[in-house]
Amino acid sequence: MTRQAAFAPALAGSAFLLAGWSLLAAATADSQLIAGPVEVIAWIADNPGLIGRALAVTLRNAAAGFALGNLAAILLAAVALAWPRSLNLISGLALVVFCLPLIATGPVLRVLMGPGEGPQIALAALAVYYTTLIPLLTGLRAMPAAWLDLVHSYGRGRLAELVHVRARAALPYLFAGLQIAAPAAFLGAMVGEFTGAERGMGVLTIRFMRAMDATALWAIAALAAAVSMAAYAAIGALARHLSHDRPPVILAPPRPVAGSRAGKALDGAVLILAVLAGWWGAMELLGLDPFFAKRPWDVVAALAWAPDAAATRAALIRATGETALFLLPGYLAGLALGAGLATLLTLRPGLALPIMPVAVALRSIPIVTTAPLIVLFLGRGATGTITLVAVMVFFPTLVACLHGLRQAPGQILDLFRTYAAGSLRQMIHVRIPAMLPALFAAARMSVPAAILAVTVVEWLTTGRGLGSLMALSASTSNYNLLWSAVVVVTVISALCHAAVALLERRVLRVYAPEQLRR
Amino acid sequence: MHPPSLTRRRLLAGGAAGLLVGQAGLRPARAQARTAVGLQLSWLHSVQFAGSYIARENGWWQEAGLDVTLLQGGPNAPVEPPVVSGTALVGISAADYTAAAVAQGARFRIIGVAMQKNPFVIASLPADPVRTPADLMGKRIGMALANRPVLQALCRLNDVDFDAIRIVPTQYSAQPLLAGEVDCLLCWETDLPVAMAINGIQAVTMLMADHGYALHSQTYIATEDSLATRRQELVALMSGEARGWEACRADTDAAAELTLRMFPDAGLDLATQKLQAERQLPLMFSDLTDQMGFGWWSDDGVAANIETLALLGHEVTPDLWDRSILEEIHAG
Repeated sequence: MTRQAAFAPALAGSAFLLAGWSLLAAATADSQLIAGPVEVIAWIADNPGLIGRALAVTLRNAAAGFALGNLAAILLAAVALAWPRSLNLISGLALVVFCLPLIATGPVLRVLMGPGEGPQIALAALAVYYTTLIPLLTGLRAMPAAWLDLVHSYGRGRLAELVHVRARAALPYLFAGLQIAAPAAFLGAMVGEFTGAERGMGVLTIRFMRAMDATALWAIAALAAAVSMAAYAAIGALARHLSHDRPPVILAPPRPVAGSRAGKALDGAVLILAVLAGWWGAMELLGLDPFFAKRPWDVVAALAWAPDAAATRAALIRATGETALFLLPGYLAGLALGAGLATLLTLRPGLALPIMPVAVALRSIPIVTTAPLIVLFLGRGATGTITLVAVMVFFPTLVACLHGLRQAPGQILDLFRTYAAGSLRQMIHVRIPAMLPALFAAARMSVPAAILAVTVVEWLTTGRGLGSLMALSASTSNYNLLWSAVVVVTVISALCHAAVALLERRVLRVYAPEQLRR
Repeated sequence: MHPPSLTRRRLLAGGAAGLLVGQAGLRPARAQARTAVGLQLSWLHSVQFAGSYIARENGWWQEAGLDVTLLQGGPNAPVEPPVVSGTALVGISAADYTAAAVAQGARFRIIGVAMQKNPFVIASLPADPVRTPADLMGKRIGMALANRPVLQALCRLNDVDFDAIRIVPTQYSAQPLLAGEVDCLLCWETDLPVAMAINGIQAVTMLMADHGYALHSQTYIATEDSLATRRQELVALMSGEARGWEACRADTDAAAELTLRMFPDAGLDLATQKLQAERQLPLMFSDLTDQMGFGWWSDDGVAANIETLALLGHEVTPDLWDRSILEEIHAG
């Protein structure tokens, strides 16, 4: 492909996005919610210093968080592979840390790290490491057993296996993780600025929101989206550059689900103990004041025998019920949308031009900017909430599945082509089965993402459920209730994650048994 | 209490002290270490905290031996944790937040009250205005659900049927009002109505403080521990605040200009900041503060606050307020 030929579709995609944006702005002109591209460009031209400095600060923090978060994910994955017994512990702890809501971690990070850039970088890193870790763990197992046997026949151990075989096989999955991470890091850095940062795009978002300056608000949104799209495209180009091997045929014998029931119970107990010890130990070690950094014991007391324990439990149960109502539909809708779009884009690659920029934009524009729009179109009822959750969930699924669909083994596709089997037939019999590990990785990492999305939406629009309860308890210094809610969110995430993992084992036992070996 | 009178003896003493200080200033030993303290603001930088900026800009804190860091707030930056942890010596809070934190075991005292009148208003559009609490009946109000107790208290104070008002949970923005999604908003006199005015929309505002909602806002809080061990720093900090706010009152436009100069990256608009300062200052000064000094409160004021706090579900005693720092500042 020549250079011009590569740029033409990108230009066409941008033109499509700009046209759509203009139309939307014109259609909603009365509501003063959206500013069109012309106004936005004029605003940026008028305020280059202000927006330039803010962009530089946020971009720097996002880049630092992106690097740290992904490095952490790679290290964790390497440890889990080199020492398989730690796999459950590592992925369990990673899930728990990812579940911690910003509203609980923000003040803690700010007190620990002071007024500088620390919390923004930390929150950007926290926003990305999990969505890299999960695909990576999948990728590190996605290879024919013969390759590993070859390493073993030379008498080499797990480390050589990791370096020579697994790392290479995992590359496409790693790049999927990095592509998902790019917009997440930028958004994480912006939201991190809500914890009292001095400057940056997030600070300006809050300011312009209150000042009803739709033009400035959309200028920020446009820049955030543009940065994310550029990073997404650059990582994609790097991925294409580095992985030209055709995906191998992975043949592995189906095997029974590993591990006894007692072994699993033991794993669970070890994980729970590690979480409690880590929680307590970290807070003690850092000398965090128990007024706002509640220990496990405080939460148990608040739920079991404090004078207002019954009220606390009732509030939590009611909020959990309200949250659950939106969680499952939003999660499933997001998954279906992501996987469906990925299938569609693989069948009709031309559609990627208009769809991918919109997908990246949706993921990278702060929800505080988009929420009023969705409320305007769909209202504050269930439809609006579920749509918002689905919007926040579908992107990781889409990216993971796109990469997964590309993992269809070349020889088998050749075989199908030899028999003149159409692309739909190839999709059903080859690509979708090849995508399943990626789909389940997406399903697992979307569990905490969906729960965090629901809580944010509740806080912003419906004012019900756990999200609203957490915001309320933080504003009234009821940190016992806040940390209890954090525990509830974590437990729900862990349970849903376990349910997905169970389903995953049943399906992959047939379609991708290599994922189940240790 | 006697207002300080200027006697000849005092003038001479002051002059002598001035000379001594002047001489000390010439000596190299002047480079004494200043104490670093933090002041945790309750929100993003804006003219809302102009008094602090004026104090810092004029070096009034430095003269008193303090090196003050102004810690910005934000939507996810509660004031109480940094004050409890000692990251900030003083925080800017409000009586209801402080009461809630004290109920949860924090040992805070209110040591000064910047906003004598609570800034909460009900903002509506002239076509369908809310001018008295009774007008609220049958209206849709946009607000954060967290403020439900505030509206409930207003209704109780004015015998309005709370259930006759429909609450729509909205983001803190005037947009739902302008889009016709709600009839009125619960907000601050100094933010959303100012934004609307700058956009050419004159909103009708009903100040809740004029209808019995007595609640000290923008209050300075410190821990009992600091009050016991770091009095000198507290006095110096609050003294700078008092001076800063008096200067702000004298020229609100200059205060707005200083705010923009100090925070060029905050995305502030000069006209907005000027209008905001103009609307904020009347809430901060009263006959009482003219007589007793910035930040003061009366026992009657505390009693009224305790009543409002009870309506909001907070039980507090007058011990929550500690006037000793202000007494020290305004006595001299």
